[in-house]
Amino acid sequence: MRDLRYSYLGKFPALEGVSFSVSSGESVALLGANGCGKSTLLKILDGLLFADSGEFRAFGQEVTEDNLEDEQFSMGFRSRVGFIFQNSDAQVFSPTVREEVAFGPLQLGWKVKKVERRVADVLEMLEIPHLADRAPYQLSGGEKKRVAIASVLVMNPEVILFDEPTAALDPRTQQWLVELIAELNRSGKTVVLATHDLDVLDIVAGRCLVFSEQHRIVLDAAPTQILNDRDLLLSVNLIHDHTHVHFDPNTLESAGSAHGHEHDALHHVGGSGGEHDRG
Amino acid sequence: MSGDPGERSTPRWLVQGEVALCPCGCIGRRKKGSFVEKTISGGSNVIRQAVFSEDVAMGRGFLQGLDPRVKILCLFGLLVVTAFVRHLSILLALYASTLLLAAVSKLSLGFFIKRVWLFIPIFTGIIVLPAMFSFITPGNVILPLWSWHGEPVGITSQGLMASGIIVARVATSISFVVLLTLTTPWVRLLGALRALFVPKIFILIIGMAYRYIYLLLNSVTDMYMSRKARSVGNDQGDVKEGRRFVSATAGALFGKSHALSTEVHQAMVSRGYTGSPRTLTTSHVRAMDVAFTVAVLLTAVLVIGGDHLLGG
Repeated sequence: MRDLRYSYLGKFPALEGVSFSVSSGESVALLGANGCGKSTLLKILDGLLFADSGEFRAFGQEVTEDNLEDEQFSMGFRSRVGFIFQNSDAQVFSPTVREEVAFGPLQLGWKVKKVERRVADVLEMLEIPHLADRAPYQLSGGEKKRVAIASVLVMNPEVILFDEPTAALDPRTQQWLVELIAELNRSGKTVVLATHDLDVLDIVAGRCLVFSEQHRIVLDAAPTQILNDRDLLLSVNLIHDHTHVHFDPNTLESAGSAHGHEHDALHHVGGSGGEHDRG
Repeated sequence: MSGDPGERSTPRWLVQGEVALCPCGCIGRRKKGSFVEKTISGGSNVIRQAVFSEDVAMGRGFLQGLDPRVKILCLFGLLVVTAFVRHLSILLALYASTLLLAAVSKLSLGFFIKRVWLFIPIFTGIIVLPAMFSFITPGNVILPLWSWHGEPVGITSQGLMASGIIVARVATSISFVVLLTLTTPWVRLLGALRALFVPKIFILIIGMAYRYIYLLLNSVTDMYMSRKARSVGNDQGDVKEGRRFVSATAGALFGKSHALSTEVHQAMVSRGYTGSPRTLTTSHVRAMDVAFTVAVLLTAVLVIGGDHLLGG
């Protein structure tokens, strides 16, 4: 990706000259405050939005609107890149969970028998076979997230994009999801995720791209380096003055956690997790 | 507490208790709920009923066990037959058969009858009411109401019979449709329509509309609740305020639904959707379906034949 620029309606900038590359098998976290351009970048990486200028290449070919109109390229690209949206309601649109999970493979022209087998496997893996015939509106937020993940994993993509994966989930589901992301990366999947949750950074990412509120990448480094750089985290609005960032390089190769503290009767919540972001 | 100097200054009134309005009833007046609240809660109830129907449709009754395609074709056939019947006795027999089907499908008869008859007075009653009178359907006046130039005007036996036939026909037709919708999960119903050559895109749009209407209704309910939580009774301007709220909500909801539809489309494209959706279809025609089809055909022949024999 080289010198990428994107703006909404031509006047609200979302990305201002972004350049980076991701190698196969890497896990990269896009870090930044709300509205810094993380979600927009993920949509460009998934070929859903197209940059105003700059170049984006994937699997040896440039990804443009024109190229994606070519059925062969489009099918190849769609089967190799999966995107889990922040808003599961937008992603879980079919009448039942089974239909939802089967949607992607069916669009790619897989045989129904194979699709049914894969759907059963992935529902089993994510511990939701009992939801197969349920309607999405009957599911809880955590269950919808699992279904959204199942609907992407069933296609066995090489690259998985997560937009704010832990947002608005209960702690147990957050933990489950974080472990799943780490496991997917260990099994060889390339993972790119947008987050401002510093608590999970050490588990889910091997590398971080930090975005400023001016929609530019200001640092490309390992989580350890980023969690140690308090001034940087303050300047990009990932923590505030009262946030304590704990980091112990002796116990883990890379470990960090940011905790917010309540300082007065009004809410003064710390800089991590749980918030919706449309960056 | 006024916050840290140089940072945020919390106004003093925000951290002090407020003299609240007394809830004991010594001020203000009781008033009825607004039309907005009634409309929203009505909408929610309709959706809840639809969800409840899904549970019924997933049950283990007779009609639930049939292939949805067979069910659609057979019940549609019975609808056509009902439209051709001209005798009240035969229509009543057909209506009785719908009750029998509801019973063997383990539907609550009270719920089924209520669902069918709820709309009949509204949609049919208004139309058939004038037909009962002698100035529309001349004949033997059995209930004279007034006289016109020495002739009695009132309800005639012929008018009553004609109205009875129309009401019975409508009730039987609605019963067949309600039987179909109550005993078939929405997904399978859509799948069956697809198998019966209804265009794919039409099915997809109906399916998604059904899916997202629930979500958008929740948004409306949330918006209304948040407004209600912040408002103190003002019965003078209630209707006017309500109208203003409805128009503002419609605008906000339009924006929300547009954003949601964009994201849904992106989510579909992301998984390979190119404008021609493919879906799983797992329906199979079994011996029970064939037997039901034969029974429906025989009934159709008997009904049409019987109606013809009775003449008229």
